[in-house]
Amino acid sequence: MSTQTSQTIQFPYKRTLGPVIGRFFSELTALRIVGIRCGDRVVVPPMEYDPQTGEQLAEHYVEVGPAGTVVSWTWVPEPGPHHPLDRPFAYALVKLDGADTNLLHVLDTGGEDTVSTGMRVAPRWRAEPVGRIDDIEAFVPGETPEGPTAGEPADVRTMEFFSTITYTDVLSPTLERYAASMRAGVITGQRCPRCDRVFLGRGYCSVDALRLGPEHEEALPDHGVVSNYTIVTPTPYPGQKETEPFARASVVLHGDEMVVSQQQIIGVPVADIRVGMRVKAQWFPEAERNAAEISSKGWGTVAGFIEGWVPTGEPDEPAEQFMDRVF
Amino acid sequence: MRNDSDIAVISTAYLPSVRRNELTETEMLITVVDEALDKVGLKRSDIGFSCQGSCDYISGGTFSFVPNLDAMGAWPPIHESHVEMDGAWALYEAWVRMRHGDVEIAVAMGSGKSSTGDPAEIHPLELDPYYLAPLGVDPVSLAALQARQLIDTGKSSERELAEIAARSRRAAADNPRQQVRSAESDVDKLLAEPYVRSPLRRSDLPPISDGASCVVMATARRARDLVERPAWIAGLDHRSEVHNPALRDLTDSPSTRLAAEKAGGVAGVEVAELMAPFTAQEVVLRQALGLGDDVLVNPSGGALTGNPLMSTGLVRIAEAAEQIIAGGRNRTLGHATSGPLLQQNLVCVLEGDI
Ligand SMILES: [Zn+2]
Repeated sequence: MSTQTSQTIQFPYKRTLGPVIGRFFSELTALRIVGIRCGDRVVVPPMEYDPQTGEQLAEHYVEVGPAGTVVSWTWVPEPGPHHPLDRPFAYALVKLDGADTNLLHVLDTGGEDTVSTGMRVAPRWRAEPVGRIDDIEAFVPGETPEGPTAGEPADVRTMEFFSTITYTDVLSPTLERYAASMRAGVITGQRCPRCDRVFLGRGYCSVDALRLGPEHEEALPDHGVVSNYTIVTPTPYPGQKETEPFARASVVLHGDEMVVSQQQIIGVPVADIRVGMRVKAQWFPEAERNAAEISSKGWGTVAGFIEGWVPTGEPDEPAEQFMDRVF
Repeated sequence: MRNDSDIAVISTAYLPSVRRNELTETEMLITVVDEALDKVGLKRSDIGFSCQGSCDYISGGTFSFVPNLDAMGAWPPIHESHVEMDGAWALYEAWVRMRHGDVEIAVAMGSGKSSTGDPAEIHPLELDPYYLAPLGVDPVSLAALQARQLIDTGKSSERELAEIAARSRRAAADNPRQQVRSAESDVDKLLAEPYVRSPLRRSDLPPISDGASCVVMATARRARDLVERPAWIAGLDHRSEVHNPALRDLTDSPSTRLAAEKAGGVAGVEVAELMAPFTAQEVVLRQALGLGDDVLVNPSGGALTGNPLMSTGLVRIAEAAEQIIAGGRNRTLGHATSGPLLQQNLVCVLEGDI
């Protein structure tokens, strides 16, 4: 049996455009396409620098197109969710009239047999242009642009771009065994035969770069001591769920040097957390434990299995013995 | 005669390219480092510098390259570095570092697991965020635009592309570390297959792969004691062009040509391992380099039959080096590329002792 975990990463970018790209996008809102003069050539889309030499270009803009000629193309018979059109289309290199470079864009022709190198195309504009490259929804066959009536250009200075990627991991054999033991409420570590250190769900010793297998595994106690902590005052950003100051603590498992970091301490105000405090794991109910936080690009984590750590009320360990460590 | 400061590749290792490797990237790297060091009787404590190439965007986690550093072990501490590039550029950094004169043995690594994500979803995000990324243009579509221009300008033909695919597949059949090993290799049958993105067919595209690789280098002071026939790095250079492919002549690769000139030129090269994940790119690279028909291209099967991103380029250098270390050749070339449609190119020219 293999466990798949899935993670979606989202990037809500807002980018400043600078003078040259900003001008190009501003002109798009008035249904005009401009290039920039580069020696005796016109570069479209405009760049701040000469594509060959890297020298900065003077802001000398030239209106081009709107029609142009297809220089190369390929047909996308089955568009995916990240493609710009939801029906079969072509990507094309279009040399706009008056330009000396190609523009990479989208062709909407209805069928592959209607596309050819050398064909003439013109832009179909978005109904309400906002100053983005996809204000041109697509190029269409012919000489005549399609779309709304041109108005005054907007002053476009930024561009928002929301991107999202979903990654699917199949857990490695080591992580699979680790997840199974955590589901059963047992922290399992692997002890390195060379240095005697213990690692959670790692498959190797980080110090000695030795592969560690099932023969190196042993059950570890689910209690230990807070060795370090920090109190974080949250600032709002995408993905931040905390609103009040919260603590993240490192817990050294009893009898070992294994540190579980970035842990929540449950049941006490953050002001009462201290180095040396003895804590024990508060496991999620068995039915709620899950491996969603485990991935192949990191190490074993207790997240998804252990909710946090509760003070045991026993006398503290002397704080001094944790003072020379990072975590 | 070699100077003491000359640098050679003395050992290489790479994992079989597979659709999905169940090991983590770090575990894959530990395996190839072990294998490459064992071949020449070295230990991690003998290494003066290491550099890794990998990509967080492909792995899917911020700082996901950090666990990969564990492949060298934390003790004893050595100088180590990472590039968000193919391992070929890690080799470049290690080579530059060795030329300071205080490091005698260095290791370069490359690793990637493309199995965790959809390349058509991830790769548009490596493109220009203003003009290209919002159009969602995937790497296969880009490669098809390049291939059609090559064909329309008379520099290649669909038949030539199919012949490259067939030759690569036949070569891969003899290399157990390649992924596409038993696929059709009859040119007429390949030409009868449908387009994925016209004019490219399945056979013109690389597989999606996981893998990792390791290359060990030593200065002349150590190299001869460790391996009978070191692969001396005669020249190593990399050059790049403007990012946006639409602003380039896609039928030529001036950056490859310049890198090869700076690396000593292709005269006398017997074998070239070119990182051409698409058939048409092999044509562009061959023509840009001016390789004659007598040069054996991609006897390993090449990137077309195994494409573990961030390792593919280092594997080309490893294969070119093994042609000297084990194959007895005298002069070979390894090439790696990065960025959309051959934007950036690295050329490594290797020599054996005659
Ligand atoms: Zn150890």
